[in-house]
Amino acid sequence: MTSSPATSQAAGTDGRTVLRQLTRVLGAVIVLLVIWRVATVGLAEGYPASFWISQALNGLVLGGVYALVALGYTLVYGILFMINFAHGEVMMIGGITGYFALQFALARGWMEGPWAVVVFALLLIMVIGMAASVLIGVALERLAYRPLRQAPRLVPLISAIGASLFLQYSVLLIFGVSPHSYRKPALISGGLRLGDVFIPYTGAIIFITSILLMLALYFIIQRTKLGRAMRAVAEDRATASLMGVDVNAVIVVTFMLGSALAGAAGVMLGFHNTVVKFNSGFIPGLKAFTAAVLGGIGNIPGAMFGALILGLIEAIGPSALGIPTEYKDVIAFSLLVLILIFRPTGLFGEVLSEKKA
Amino acid sequence: MLILDSVHTYYGHIHALKGISLTVNKGEVVTLIGSNGAGKTTTLNTISGVLPTRAGAIYFQDSPRSAGDGSPNARDIDIRLDRLPAHDVARLGVSQSPEGRKIFARLTVQENLAMGAFARSDPEGVLHDLERVFELFPRLKERLSQPGGTLSGGEQQMLAIGRALMSSPRILLLDEPSMGLAPLLVQQIFQIIREINAQGMTILLVEQNAQAALQVADRGYVLETGNIVLSGPAGDLLANPQVAEAYLGI
Ligand SMILES: Nc1ncnc2c1ncn2[C@@H]1O[C@H](COP(=O)(O)OP(=O)(O)OP(=O)(O)O)[C@@H](O)[C@H]1O
Ligand SMILES: [Mg+2]
Repeated sequence: MTSSPATSQAAGTDGRTVLRQLTRVLGAVIVLLVIWRVATVGLAEGYPASFWISQALNGLVLGGVYALVALGYTLVYGILFMINFAHGEVMMIGGITGYFALQFALARGWMEGPWAVVVFALLLIMVIGMAASVLIGVALERLAYRPLRQAPRLVPLISAIGASLFLQYSVLLIFGVSPHSYRKPALISGGLRLGDVFIPYTGAIIFITSILLMLALYFIIQRTKLGRAMRAVAEDRATASLMGVDVNAVIVVTFMLGSALAGAAGVMLGFHNTVVKFNSGFIPGLKAFTAAVLGGIGNIPGAMFGALILGLIEAIGPSALGIPTEYKDVIAFSLLVLILIFRPTGLFGEVLSEKKA
Repeated sequence: MLILDSVHTYYGHIHALKGISLTVNKGEVVTLIGSNGAGKTTTLNTISGVLPTRAGAIYFQDSPRSAGDGSPNARDIDIRLDRLPAHDVARLGVSQSPEGRKIFARLTVQENLAMGAFARSDPEGVLHDLERVFELFPRLKERLSQPGGTLSGGEQQMLAIGRALMSSPRILLLDEPSMGLAPLLVQQIFQIIREINAQGMTILLVEQNAQAALQVADRGYVLETGNIVLSGPAGDLLANPQVAEAYLGI
């Protein structure tokens, strides 16, 4: 064989094609194995349909919460090409603040008042949680990321991890290690029974609120002047500034929007899990990141659908695969690794490569 | 209207502009010509505030606009541009159509035009200018809901100029508007530059196509490796044997 550059280049391309095909085969094998396991173990258990429906509804609730958090990752990535690994903590701060707002409302007896008062109090709690998250998100951008805007990409990532730990341990120091428990008002404690399927009010409220917030965000991004400026800055900062767009202001607003959604998620997760503590943003944060990657990071509808899919997989997965529920986190994170190997651009396309071009 | 006074610009250690001085008067077309890497784009980006100056000053002066044109800031302008961030320079009415068009590929044509009008708060004025842009570039009107990235090169150039016009600029900076276009389209673009200028627009035109640029311009400057080596009325430059040899390919 001659070693002319042309042939070695061809060999290189061949090698890559072979590798790609191997990955594809490996991926197919894994999918088949999962299907086989579901067919022989999960379905063989013979759970009733109502069981699967309940699990799926549960998954949608979690998925809605993940989606709100995932949107924050994806928004920031879309504009700064960085992963805000402290975003889970932004959510946690919203949850903690929401807890104190809830205590305040409980102490004043608002939670036993007429339904209008309860609804108003719940909204107020969420808004306060969102406001706290917005403050933290803006501070993060200003202190941990903006000074590193010109640095190599790895540097802000390390700063983000540092900020994440800083926020966790600050909350630990101030509020202690024991979990703070959210007490649901009686008004939303019950549920709806449809045949054999039980739909808790909290779950339904969380899901609907999540969807409304997502629609609001989508409207802002697609239909407002601010959203247009955000998309322009995401594509080309310098050119956007030539149009009179204050790029720094747009970046701050992006952090604000993402953090507000995370704060709402933190409060709702508090009601859903009934507790918050210093590290309760960590795992949901990683899950939401997984969801964002699943949908294609930087892709806004992708983050929403990726999160709903992840929520469903996590809720149905353990029973379907016949493994204990405690392992649901393993499912989510295995999924993350598998996506990164087999489809790094996520389920919904080529956003990453498009932006690099 | 626009005065650069010995402006120095660096890229890190690279000294790209070595004391540029030039003037653009109201209503003029001034062209900046020079070979690749001379510093033409750097000059425009320094004016626009995308690049910081290391030394020197950039002045922008303008009388208030005539009443009734819907301008939100009808006051005397006399400002040091080199002290402002890019978005404030743009808001003053210094509008650039950048080299390589820089269309927002994922925004529709309509959204790209709206981005041009981003800093404006006079909806009627914006509508009026939109009509004007459609008159100049009827093609854009047929492509309104198409993503900017799917336009042809020529259409993108029209969109870039249209977008710059949507800001209702006091001065228009054009960076190689004829780049990569078929000869017929190049002619058309220069015709449009003439038209816009005839309607009263002040223009600073950067071009590789020195011949065509000098034909539409009132005055010209020749840039060589970060220095202005020659300047004068466009006709004189066209007749100058040095210019002819170096830039007109004669
Ligand atoms: N981002 C950058 N980093 C470092 N050097 C740069 C950068 N941009 C331009 N330069 C250098 O500055 C000098 C002037 O570049 P500029 O782009 O202004 O040239 P130009 O006259 O516009 O050329 P062209 O006709 O090719 O567009 C060149 O030597 C170029 O290599
Ligand atoms: Mg150039």
